[in-house]
Amino acid sequence: MLDIGGVSKRFGTLQALDGVSFAVAPGEVFGFVGSNGAGKTTTMRIVLGVLSADSGDVRWRDAPVDAEVRRRIGYMPEERGLYPKMKVGDQLRYLARLHGIPAAEAAASVTRWTERLGVESRVGDDVQKLSLGNQQRVQLCAALVHDPEVLVLDEPFSGLDPTAVEVMSGVLREKAAQGVPVIFSSHQLELVERLCDRIGIIAAGRMVAVGTVEELRTRDGAGRGRSIVLDIEGPPAGWTDGVSGVEIMSAEGSRTRLRLHDGVDDQDVLRAAVAAGPVHEFRRFRPPLTELYRDVVRDVTKEAVS
Amino acid sequence: MNGGRGTQSPLTSRQAVLLVARREFTTQVRSRSFVVGLIITLVLFAAIALLTTFIAGQSASKSLGVTGGATALRAELEHSARAQDVTLTTRDVDDAGGRALVGSGDLDALLTGVPGDYRLVGRDAVDSGLAAIVTTTVAQQGVRAALAGAGVDAAQVTRQSQVTTSTLEPVDPARGQQLALALVGTTLLFFSLSGYGQIVASGVVEEKQSRVVELLLATMKPWQLLAGKILGLGAVGLVQLVILGLIGVIGASAAGLLTVPGAAAGMFAMVIGWYLLGFFLFASLYAAIGSTVSRQEELNTVVGPMILVLVIPFILVANLLPNDPRNGLAATLSFIPFFSQTVMPARYALGVAPLWQVGVAALLEIVAIVVVVRLAGRVYRNSILRTGARVSLREALRG
Repeated sequence: MLDIGGVSKRFGTLQALDGVSFAVAPGEVFGFVGSNGAGKTTTMRIVLGVLSADSGDVRWRDAPVDAEVRRRIGYMPEERGLYPKMKVGDQLRYLARLHGIPAAEAAASVTRWTERLGVESRVGDDVQKLSLGNQQRVQLCAALVHDPEVLVLDEPFSGLDPTAVEVMSGVLREKAAQGVPVIFSSHQLELVERLCDRIGIIAAGRMVAVGTVEELRTRDGAGRGRSIVLDIEGPPAGWTDGVSGVEIMSAEGSRTRLRLHDGVDDQDVLRAAVAAGPVHEFRRFRPPLTELYRDVVRDVTKEAVS
Repeated sequence: MNGGRGTQSPLTSRQAVLLVARREFTTQVRSRSFVVGLIITLVLFAAIALLTTFIAGQSASKSLGVTGGATALRAELEHSARAQDVTLTTRDVDDAGGRALVGSGDLDALLTGVPGDYRLVGRDAVDSGLAAIVTTTVAQQGVRAALAGAGVDAAQVTRQSQVTTSTLEPVDPARGQQLALALVGTTLLFFSLSGYGQIVASGVVEEKQSRVVELLLATMKPWQLLAGKILGLGAVGLVQLVILGLIGVIGASAAGLLTVPGAAAGMFAMVIGWYLLGFFLFASLYAAIGSTVSRQEELNTVVGPMILVLVIPFILVANLLPNDPRNGLAATLSFIPFFSQTVMPARYALGVAPLWQVGVAALLEIVAIVVVVRLAGRVYRNSILRTGARVSLREALRG
């Protein structure tokens, strides 16, 4: 288990992190989301020991993360972190060596990962000659060449084309399947939702929600009521009037979205719908992560204001 | 889990420093700028040598046209030119023809007129050396005429007004070569220290700007990265210095310019030793200063003052020591860290600094290195991850 426990960090007058806590289990892909400046990069840098926390600690397998553990973490910094004028192969071998991999093994690992990520033909080129997408692939190679026990990736998907996104996603899942905890940050919430086992939302230096997407959906769900998505042909206007505690949130074509207040039986709603017209679909609405994220961040902002 | 992990062993500090140093060394030596830099330096030295000879040759030979009324002065003119180490060729011409030759540049000047009313004509200016020769000659002729008129033997007056120069200590016949060794050594030191100091600084900024430093610092401590960088680049500078030094010494010996191999070898060792001392001092400063900025473009403004610290002793050596090897200011500076690495080797080459003085200066420089490396390490550690605005030195030291 990788445990981030109550980590705080202040830069001058800015409280960048305020008691950030979460844990990532081996084999789990953890998505770290939040607006720019919310504290994602700072948290990751602290995990890597590139920054030191003012308080709190980071533990891996119940022991504090020290220089020795850090060498076994694979890290991808937010901005590309490679020598622009060094050949891809030389660079990756060098980084592997710095992580304590013997020369021969480093070379084999570089070959393996450059092939896996489709940049094997560029190992003899300077990094600056590569397209941004390929630089990003090389950057992921750099995080993987030492066969890390933990992966910490800051915005690994930004600037990637759809093929590269697929390759990158595949690699992350594969590493997780090998028992590696994977943390990555991203603004691409659909991708995060699809790829991650658990998600952490950070806002203004505080973790405001941690859990699976399902857990985030049910988080204070009672207060906001349940939603239902309904595909119904041409219902007459006011067809929901017969059932109390139902609001029509939106209606586009035959697709209607309803909000049910507490205590309303969804079966009553279904009966009313069937009476109103042919029903092709009737299901609980599962808000996508984008919506959950928007709600969570909005709630936090409200709290901060009040 | 994966089998590869079993062979992964923690790096010791020494291994980390060596890995970094090796990367810096190979990257630098393989770079085009290393080879080009070496060639440019060689060409520069050769060009300076050629240019010096050429300018000396230029100024040392003049041509003067002389018209009827002034032809009597020809022998006299050539004689006083010789006394000033100038080869003067005079030529009988008529006034119009002479002016044409001056106008076309075939003659440097034309002397015309009659005793009491000589005129020296140049194209758009009269060479000051030539004017001085002509003026002296004409004045002497006037004095001689006056003396003769007064019945005094001019030759006797000349004999009685001779001044002989002599020195208390025997003149060292190798003084010229010592001076050359001192200047070449100082120049090499100046270029090596400022050049490789600059490379250290821009290397630090490159890592900071490209953020690769974040990856590196996840595997090692800042001091290990800094030490590796300085050792690796220092070694490249050393290789370059040795190559240039050997080419210089061998070339000069082959050309018969160098007849004091012992002094040359001593100066060679001195330059290498002082390069190492100076490099550790300046490279750590350059690295610290480099770490406070985030972009290469900002680097020049912050390293400017550093270059000044290197230039001042270099200029002092080049200007003061040739005529005054025992200059007091130079002697003082040769003991002060930051200046000693440039001034002391020159004083040693000129034979005015005994070895014990060199030892004392080296010791003081080592003390300075110990202090500076600590402070620089602190600044580096506190600034290297702070991107954005330039980090003030006070902030970085407090950190």
